[in-house]
Amino acid sequence: MKVSLISLFLILALVVGGCATKPETNASVERQELKVDPEILYALTVSELFEDRLPQADGSSLLQVQFAVDVHSNADLAWKVTWFDDTGMTVKGVGEGYRKATLITGQTRYFRATAPHSRVASYQLHLREPQ
Amino acid sequence: MLKKAIALSAGVLMLSGCATPTRYVDPAADDGPVAMTMDYRDFEKAATEAVEDMLASGAVVNPNGGRYIMVVSRITNDTMQRIDTDQLTKKIRVSLLRSGKVVTTTAVGLNGAEDEMTMRARELRNSEEFDQSGVQKKGTLQAPDLSLSGKILQRNHKVGSEQQVEYYIQLSLTDLASGLAFWEGETPIVKRGSNSSVSW
Repeated sequence: MKVSLISLFLILALVVGGCATKPETNASVERQELKVDPEILYALTVSELFEDRLPQADGSSLLQVQFAVDVHSNADLAWKVTWFDDTGMTVKGVGEGYRKATLITGQTRYFRATAPHSRVASYQLHLREPQ
Repeated sequence: MLKKAIALSAGVLMLSGCATPTRYVDPAADDGPVAMTMDYRDFEKAATEAVEDMLASGAVVNPNGGRYIMVVSRITNDTMQRIDTDQLTKKIRVSLLRSGKVVTTTAVGLNGAEDEMTMRARELRNSEEFDQSGVQKKGTLQAPDLSLSGKILQRNHKVGSEQQVEYYIQLSLTDLASGLAFWEGETPIVKRGSNSSVSW
């Protein structure tokens, strides 16, 4: 009697445990690697976006991102790379601000950014027009 | 007399009503006006470029594993402004520490230790008032491997009816074992504006 009661209790516990809501671990929206604000699209086209891992002497590697823009019209550009580790959490860089560049018609400009830590696994590049 | 006082009070009230309200600036979204002097955005730009270049060059990676120990040497302020160069070096130190490649010693400095407590804590040795098991032992301090030094330069020019102010932030990372600069970088920051703007 006692054994069957314990067994029933264990089965119930397992069923209830299985029904428990699992914590949300995945992003609800897939993150874009490149985000370009519509306001700046009239002035440029992103023609290249590369990423590479730089091998380090201690066996680690650093993510490096390079992008190129073809300029159609004189404009100011603000850009920023946000870094993420393999769990999707942000990794802090040196500063939080956007980097600024002045673009001239006909130019192809190349920009590069290096991840602040070897645990960086992905990134998001945001291009916008400074207000 | 009363009329004058009322008029004056009304004037003061009207002027204070027109004043721009004080507000917070979010450094992550600051498109505010640019000053001719060096502001936090300039230091952030210089530190970002320096740290990214140091990391990409591999100069701060210890091939034997572990972290390099860095000491901050002299950063000369050769501008017309009163700049606390820690505004620049702190950003670099924090970022290099976060990178896991470099740790900065505060026990050594050109003008004495940055944190004098390292040595003061050792003065507790042999004091009967302190439990000696918690007092720092001899030979535990770590000597630096790398030294960060540099200079901030300013040059002013008249360009037509405007003035141009050029700042150069020059940094060197010296390997203390060999005396060789493992990494060097320069970030120019050039601003052009009204002649009436002051850059000091």
